[in-house]
Amino acid sequence: MNSGSRAKLNTKNNIIPDLMAGTIFKSERYRQKVESVSADILRNVSLNRGFLLWMGFLTAVLLACLYAYTIQLREGLGVTGLRDITSWGVYIANFVFFVATSLVGMLISCVLGLSGAKWVKPIARIAEIIAVAFAAVAGLVIISDMGRPDRLPYVFLFGRFQSPILWDVTVVTTYFFVSLLLWFLPMIPDLAIAKDRLPGRPAFLVRAYEILSVKWVDHEKQFEILHKAMRILLILIIPLAFAIHTVTSWLFAVTPRPGWDSTIFGPYFISGAFVSGTAAVVIAMYFFRVSYKLEKYITDFHFDRIGRVLILVSVLYFYFNLNEFLVPGYKLKTSDAIHLRELFAGHHAFLFWGVQLLGLVIPAILLLFRKIRKPLPMLVISVVVLAAAWLKRYIIVVPPQAHPYLPAQNYPVEWIVYKPTLIEIAVSVAAIVLVLMIITILSKLFPVLPIQEIAEEEALAKNESV
Amino acid sequence: MRKLIPALTAILLLGTRLSAQDWTVPDDRKGRLSTFAFDDETRKTGQKLYTANCKSCHGIPGEDNWLRLVPPPGDPASEKFQKNSDGEMFYKVVTGRGQMPSFRTVLSANEIWALISYLRSYNQGYVQQVMQLITSSAYPDAEIRIALAWNSADSTVDISATAVSEKSSVAVTDAEMQLMVQRRFGHLAVDEPRNTDSRGFVRFRMPAGLPGDTAGNVLVMARFTDEETFGSAGKDTILRAGMPSFNESLVAPRAMWNTARKAPVWIILTYLGGVLIAWGFIMLVLLKLRDIFIIGENSTLNNK
Repeated sequence: MNSGSRAKLNTKNNIIPDLMAGTIFKSERYRQKVESVSADILRNVSLNRGFLLWMGFLTAVLLACLYAYTIQLREGLGVTGLRDITSWGVYIANFVFFVATSLVGMLISCVLGLSGAKWVKPIARIAEIIAVAFAAVAGLVIISDMGRPDRLPYVFLFGRFQSPILWDVTVVTTYFFVSLLLWFLPMIPDLAIAKDRLPGRPAFLVRAYEILSVKWVDHEKQFEILHKAMRILLILIIPLAFAIHTVTSWLFAVTPRPGWDSTIFGPYFISGAFVSGTAAVVIAMYFFRVSYKLEKYITDFHFDRIGRVLILVSVLYFYFNLNEFLVPGYKLKTSDAIHLRELFAGHHAFLFWGVQLLGLVIPAILLLFRKIRKPLPMLVISVVVLAAAWLKRYIIVVPPQAHPYLPAQNYPVEWIVYKPTLIEIAVSVAAIVLVLMIITILSKLFPVLPIQEIAEEEALAKNESV
Repeated sequence: MRKLIPALTAILLLGTRLSAQDWTVPDDRKGRLSTFAFDDETRKTGQKLYTANCKSCHGIPGEDNWLRLVPPPGDPASEKFQKNSDGEMFYKVVTGRGQMPSFRTVLSANEIWALISYLRSYNQGYVQQVMQLITSSAYPDAEIRIALAWNSADSTVDISATAVSEKSSVAVTDAEMQLMVQRRFGHLAVDEPRNTDSRGFVRFRMPAGLPGDTAGNVLVMARFTDEETFGSAGKDTILRAGMPSFNESLVAPRAMWNTARKAPVWIILTYLGGVLIAWGFIMLVLLKLRDIFIIGENSTLNNK
């Protein structure tokens, strides 16, 4: 390929434009950079004692929690706090939270990446790891809410096109697959770089790298094809991400219950998803920066930028909250009024205001200060935001069920007032443990930052300065 | 303790008295019996009728899961129910009391007997006694025949009742008759009960717009209200006295609430279209991976 067509490609491909900067790949500077960057990043790719201990600990917790699930499997959903009136509890709250958090993959790599924000490069893979892990487990969480999980194939065998449940299963699966590709495709050049630079690692890992690097040889045509494929995926993931969380919101919004009966549930869920996902990315960024000693690559600058993103998505989410609660709160239709009073001043008031203030308003205000947008303060804020995001899903799922349009009469109080049981909590913890396991495996067995892109960028920067 | 025992006894006695006085059936009705023998067929019919009409309050017989109302409906399989004679049961179902509705116009006599035959299947010691066909006490030795004529011009039904014996045939006069139309969940009384005139005739007016089947047919039933005097003779006829109705089943057309096969076309296309587009692009990306692999393989071979 001549340099003319390369320049053409360069203008066409604004996703990762520098990759097409031509001669850079053949330069000595680039080779040196690949060596130094891959040394820093591949240092963490190992099945060391820390990894084994951590995975061992997670496995032990998982087994304990799965024991709780076997009880549920044997005895049925009666062992949970779910009853006729409140039939969705922490499982579904967990599911919504997982789907929400997984949406960040789309936000970081696609919305920001496609709009030319170069700073997202080092953290795009972290965002995709989070997306893959949460999307994968979201599907499993749904199964834990089924009294007869053996009937899961019935969704496909006898599923109805009209049922949001079928749409949900479909989009979660598709989104997971595309997220997996979005994690994998940009990593192919890295796998090719890494496969010769993993001395002392288990043979199966090196072999896996060899297979997964699909004979990558840094050929110009390969770059061209890879960029085309990435472009398809980055565009495809936008409607998919919107679909996955809009459909999740429709599971509620198509059900006539005060509190769910809302036309803005789709955007309300999506904007909320950006908040929880961004917070999750910040936590992961901090963890990898400190634990993997990647301060050189995940810098204060990146925290500053993602902090600004968190402000933006928080303001957006705040706007939808305002619409979601102020409009029915102004009209106070009889059925809505019962529900809203419970939230504003009743049983759930403490949780509701705590989540809105600590999880949304105060973090957004604090992050306006440059000094707060530093790694450690942002970690603290993000942990609070993520916890609040989970509790917000609980508020969305559980309280509306206690006040159906047809009044719940002559029921035992425990059928209406939901209280999660220990078994339910254990099974939910199992899901979170599974997410952590997937994140650990993906980030420990594979390079957590894009070696090739960082090396290229550094080489180019040097070029310019020279 | 000394005071407690008499107090408890008093309460128990009072309770017994209350329950004893609760529902008395006139003596002349107590001995009434079914005109047909109870068998599996009648029990099956009775079970269907029970499920449709009684179960919502009385629950499943023998399970004691009747609705917790005051006064309690009770379990029909219980001894309290079963110690009633057939006639007493029949009377109670027909008349009803308090929250228990009257089934006089809802169920026919034969249907009530079928119901009783079902309830008796929960009573091991029950031995049925069958009565001969109720014959008229006013026209002994005569068979009462009822004829029914539909006048479509003025929407009326003319009924004539004749007592036919070997020797003679006379009009049944001054007998109160009731005209009913079969509906899905029971019988609809049409017009007011009327007495036959001196010629044994009585005329009922059918209501306008009565829904019939697709041809406008309805099943019309004429009965004497006083079976003791005039017997249980009746006449069931299908008349074209209703409006033809073409009620399409709610699950016949394509609809959101229907099965997958009968989903609205637009939703099938949207769903399948979305799935095809998304997975089509995923396949395209996988094919591109294959291209990358081929290029890599070729260039390694060339280098060698």
